[in-house]
Amino acid sequence: MTPIIVKNLANKSIVWFQNSNQYLVLEPLAASIVKDISQNKELKEIAAELEKELDVPFEKAIDFVIDLEEKIVKPNLEAITKENQPQKNYELPPSFEVTKSYAINSKCFTVHFSNEFEVSLIHPKFAHLETSNDHDADHMMKVFTNGNHTFFLMDEELIGSWSQKDIHYFQGKFSMKIIERIYDKPEENWMGVFHASAVGNKENLILVLGDSGNGKSTSLALLQAHGFHCIADDFVPIDHQKNVHSFPAGISIKKNSLQTLLSYYPELENSAEFHYKRLNKVVRYLPPSNINYQQKYPCKALIFIKYDKNIDFEFEEITPVEAFQNLIPDSWISQESENVAIFLDWFSSLPCYQLTYAINKKMIDKVGSILGDEL
Amino acid sequence: MKNQNENKDQKISRKDALQKIGNYGKYAALTAIGTYILLNPKKAQASSPEDLGTGF
Repeated sequence: MTPIIVKNLANKSIVWFQNSNQYLVLEPLAASIVKDISQNKELKEIAAELEKELDVPFEKAIDFVIDLEEKIVKPNLEAITKENQPQKNYELPPSFEVTKSYAINSKCFTVHFSNEFEVSLIHPKFAHLETSNDHDADHMMKVFTNGNHTFFLMDEELIGSWSQKDIHYFQGKFSMKIIERIYDKPEENWMGVFHASAVGNKENLILVLGDSGNGKSTSLALLQAHGFHCIADDFVPIDHQKNVHSFPAGISIKKNSLQTLLSYYPELENSAEFHYKRLNKVVRYLPPSNINYQQKYPCKALIFIKYDKNIDFEFEEITPVEAFQNLIPDSWISQESENVAIFLDWFSSLPCYQLTYAINKKMIDKVGSILGDEL
Repeated sequence: MKNQNENKDQKISRKDALQKIGNYGKYAALTAIGTYILLNPKKAQASSPEDLGTGF
């Protein structure tokens, strides 16, 4: 077991703690001290080296080392972070109100929902994959609510239960189970799942990132309308060989993007509208085209995108540390140490950019040139 | 530990603030290497919170 992994990133170091699953960004010298402490090297010895290195009094150096141990190393080595353990006691509802079947990469997933609320959590983004053939289900899922928790069973095995505030983890787990089955890869074979849009050509792709509301999905829909492939929206799975896989969920189109997109996708005019009252959002879902389940894509760059009506077009490289800070809190990274090492290696090899635009054509041309080897 | 608020106007927002191990007075070199950022990835796969279903 490797309790920590240290990786240099530009002029900083990243330390990952297995027990807490936290990523620490700090100065390389401090990272090497953290590593020494976690390997049980004598604190006095570490402080003596620091005293020489920085030309500071020994008492100050030892204070620093002790502070690092107390505030950073100990809490992270002692912590144990795991996914929430599901409540094991549940009662199946007497009946399921709604049953839907989805055909994904030649597998059929049949889902029994106990009520419409649960349907609303899953169905909108998979509606375009619905099939009427539910006789030969490869996998049977059940979604129901007991008390305040939503339960999810797959092939009669309890996968988990989630409270309302964690319901996006239920949706994520549902998507993960589909990914595992359609690609025949268990969870430990995935490096991570990223909150991004993946867009590419036949050979490679870029990940488009940014806070909700910055225009990721709209940019993706625009790019798709101009011949690029939508590989995944919102949920981008990457395996432990650093290959991005397609995820066929619909692209969520917010009301304020409709006008821009209607000329490319007239079908949006009449597509179902979903109201997310709590978030004051109204969205429609656009099916991705060109989904190719056989194709695995290497990622060429990370682009943080922002639609800003006041800025025609700006494109600049950003530091890997800045990108890392924005990527990690929105991502699920496998907690297997081998996968963390692969992730850090993958990330450190990628160029990262900020693209801000109001002129669609400039954004589209830039993405085309990035995919076409301009970088 | 002190929190140091980051500039809110930058184009991509920083999710977590810089923190400091401590202040070592005139030994600025120690204070400088004691600046760090702790980042927590998601504890499990998640969909975007915007997809929270609250009814049609």
